[in-house]
Amino acid sequence: MNAIAERFAPHDVGSIFLYTHEAHPGEYYPHLTSMEQKLRHARALREVLSVTRPIYVDALDGACHRAYGSMPNMSWVFTRTGNPIYKSDWTDSRSVENAIEYFLEVVERRRAQERLAPFRVERLDFRRQDHKAFFEGLARNGPKAVREFREAFGDGGE
Amino acid sequence: MPGVRAYDKFHPAMSDPELVTRYNYDEFVPSKFEPWLRFDASPPLGEPAPDFPLWDLDGNSTRLSASWSRNLYTIVEFGSFT
Repeated sequence: MNAIAERFAPHDVGSIFLYTHEAHPGEYYPHLTSMEQKLRHARALREVLSVTRPIYVDALDGACHRAYGSMPNMSWVFTRTGNPIYKSDWTDSRSVENAIEYFLEVVERRRAQERLAPFRVERLDFRRQDHKAFFEGLARNGPKAVREFREAFGDGGE
Repeated sequence: MPGVRAYDKFHPAMSDPELVTRYNYDEFVPSKFEPWLRFDASPPLGEPAPDFPLWDLDGNSTRLSASWSRNLYTIVEFGSFT
């Protein structure tokens, strides 16, 4: 997603990462109990996951995250006037990239005086599953996070 | 901000201690995480979206709308360590 942000920044596309809550609390990154802790986690995440986009932190009660569906790693695209035009219940950089390419093309078509009307579309996209990386992420949070995920989903899921 | 206690600074984030505890569940068990997964009830596309207070990594207050109003399009990825 960092690469997508860099690629589209010259086209007036902004990108942010919004830190929510620990979906898999563990010994090293436990569940959140204060905003100070939440800010510490978000700062650590910037370093550990090498997030180059601006990171913002939601309220401790997850007001924003909850209002948008509370999925652990979802992505949304907004217009400048605050209308969402893309939402996905899981983040996949190819899917986001594909959507942004389409929306930038819409801008060009409008500049070319093409008459366009919005419509809604549902589409099932496909993301790469990387179990090794996922379990490494769980282990980073702590053995408790790995154990609880296995108890909930076995070695599958994610 | 001199003279302002941390919990005052983040007051909007501290409004309901019981909600804070449930949202920040302490273990990944279905009874604790499944109730929050409501993507089917999320805001519709093409209509004005709800705005919320956010904070930068220095604890400075901002809003989601401050981000989306800055560019033609804005990608927002929600997430955490896992």
